[in-house]
Amino acid sequence: MAVPGHKLDRMFNPEVVAVIGDKGPGYMWLRNNLPFKEKGGRLYSVQLDEKEIPGIEALGIQNFKSMADIPEPIDYALVAVPRQVSPYVLKDLIANKANGAGFFTSGFAETGEELGVKLQTQLTEMAREASFNLVGPNCMGLYLPKVGVRFNADAPVADDGKIGFLSQSGTHGIMFSLVSAANGMHVSRCASFGNAVVLDVSDYLEYLMLDDETEVIGMYVEGVKNGRRFFETLREACKRKPVIVWKGGQTEAGARATMSHTGSLAAPQAVWDGMMRQCGAITTNNLDETIDVMKLLLNAKRPTGTGMALLAQTGGQSVSITDAFSKAGLRVPRFSDGTYTELGEFFNIVGGSFQNPLDMAGTIQGSMDTLDRILRILDADPNVDAMAMELSAMFAARQWKGKPETLDKTIEEIALHKERSKKPFLVILHPAHEAEYVASIQPKFHAANIPLFQSFERAAAAFARAGVREPVGRTAWRQNARPGSAAPPGLQPRSARAPS
Amino acid sequence: MSFESVLAQARAEGRTLLNEVEAKSLLKDAGVPVATTTLAATRAEAQAQAESAGYPVVLKVVSPDIAHKSDVGGVKLNLKDKDAVGAAFDEIVANSKKAVANARIAGVAVQHMAPQGTEVIVGMTTDAQFGPVMMFGLGGIMVEVLKDVSFRLVPLAEKDADQMINEIKGRPVLEGVRGQPAADLKALRTTILKVSEFVQKHPEVRELDLNPVFAYPDGALAVDARIVVSEG
Repeated sequence: MAVPGHKLDRMFNPEVVAVIGDKGPGYMWLRNNLPFKEKGGRLYSVQLDEKEIPGIEALGIQNFKSMADIPEPIDYALVAVPRQVSPYVLKDLIANKANGAGFFTSGFAETGEELGVKLQTQLTEMAREASFNLVGPNCMGLYLPKVGVRFNADAPVADDGKIGFLSQSGTHGIMFSLVSAANGMHVSRCASFGNAVVLDVSDYLEYLMLDDETEVIGMYVEGVKNGRRFFETLREACKRKPVIVWKGGQTEAGARATMSHTGSLAAPQAVWDGMMRQCGAITTNNLDETIDVMKLLLNAKRPTGTGMALLAQTGGQSVSITDAFSKAGLRVPRFSDGTYTELGEFFNIVGGSFQNPLDMAGTIQGSMDTLDRILRILDADPNVDAMAMELSAMFAARQWKGKPETLDKTIEEIALHKERSKKPFLVILHPAHEAEYVASIQPKFHAANIPLFQSFERAAAAFARAGVREPVGRTAWRQNARPGSAAPPGLQPRSARAPS
Repeated sequence: MSFESVLAQARAEGRTLLNEVEAKSLLKDAGVPVATTTLAATRAEAQAQAESAGYPVVLKVVSPDIAHKSDVGGVKLNLKDKDAVGAAFDEIVANSKKAVANARIAGVAVQHMAPQGTEVIVGMTTDAQFGPVMMFGLGGIMVEVLKDVSFRLVPLAEKDADQMINEIKGRPVLEGVRGQPAADLKALRTTILKVSEFVQKHPEVRELDLNPVFAYPDGALAVDARIVVSEG
């Protein structure tokens, strides 16, 4: 799917991709984009240096010495030429009627040098005059996992991406893509947009907001060029789908760093925070928090309240999980009388308890039937809005390793509960003394779409961010999402575009 | 006084700061609850205006050359009769002339001295990137030392004004502590929204401060107002 008629639609759904100026021995950009060719896309190289051409052709990629020789309009180009050459390349791209290009080339205004500033101004003016969609410069460009356009050799090719991600930093864009994949979540479309001289974060945000394949949007920003437009676009985007904003440069020292990184001027943090609340955006402070919220937004039901049922394996952990969720601003209410009556029928209170939190290992004793019974009782309790359950590697890793089917059954039981319950369900599995083993079993949880966290605090923080929170209600979590968001009026269908 | 005429007058005089009487008059017309304040050019005018405002009254110097009125002895509080007003008028003019040689003195602002309420601040600043931004906070130490304020971009919806009030750390103070009555939150919300509308309508306004606003159990009243406009 796409956003027919949007000015960025061709480059976000390319059929023709060109890499301009890639070099051996690594041919990083051509190799990054080989999956695009393998998936049937038309991948071209432009390189006039004779000694580079055999290496390019050895990759099975057709090379042109001049862009003018490419027989069709380019949808997306990745430009990796020296900075002095970049205006000539841009001129050729415009002549080709290319839709957009990511300029990996750096050495522009971010250097503060006269030549860099001058070249950036030249690129900006040329692109604006031709309404050319220049991504960057000084960026990693686009990552489109579905069609195999990549900005990193480890970034997966995947059809099922639901996260749109925007990043002013190439590193954060790549890191997010890799770490979200490692957590079982894929990107739909990602743009690393660097100096943002022509297209700014609002342009990309508008596209992702309209894109049906993108269910959740995340971004790393250090500053925006047009604050009012960002405010208005973000406010609209938050009405359609959850938007997570990770702001870089929140401290005075950090803001100085953004100045030399991307030349971003920051508004006072308190003004920024106020704007975020006004828009209904979810704010995070780092990669981990961003990934954690994504897990809930993609893999948990939407909460209707802040009342948590907390299920710990042991007494000490039942106290810790309760402190963690309470500190995050969530409630740990008493269960309803019916729940106490039902749990009282079988719960082992010698070395256990079921006040909320639950201390339940001694009652369950490895029985999935008992776990199922508890989950069903709590799910039916009107005081419970969401559930968080601890799994203990300290106790269970030995058994899970010896009898892997016991782990599989636990995961299956949780997945079944998740399926039938309308309430969000989180699982916390601390690595304990088995970090390597726990890392090896995490993909099983991801495959079952179970939101898995390494600590109570991270789980609680993610839930508080993503869900309703008291006393100020939040409207995120797809509450206002409108299925099948239409393109704004005036946009033409994709078939109407004139490629020549 | 229309906004346009006040703006033209200020620009003609090379001022970006509106005087207190101008600022309050414009805000009052815009529906912001502000203490009625009039300009007295003479002792007799001050006395007549004090009679109609109702005692006790406050007198403050109005001069484009004096920024910190109380520092120069340009403010007199709690004046309870005609004689006190007359004496205060003379004293304010004399103090101001003494403190700032050749100060242009437009006169003295006369207002009824409002009863003390819970002090809050409603303000607006212009951010280079985001344009007009509204600010809300509790008065005094809470804003000065603890920076306990909330911000929203203009224009504000009702929920934005409510959230601004609710998210300050000192929020419980508005519930009434140590014998103080609870503040009228609806009146505070209205004050914020009316100021938001006012600055949206007049992009020439660069800064605006209502400091303090007294919040009462029923209603709110801005007793001082400051407006800075852009240079022509």
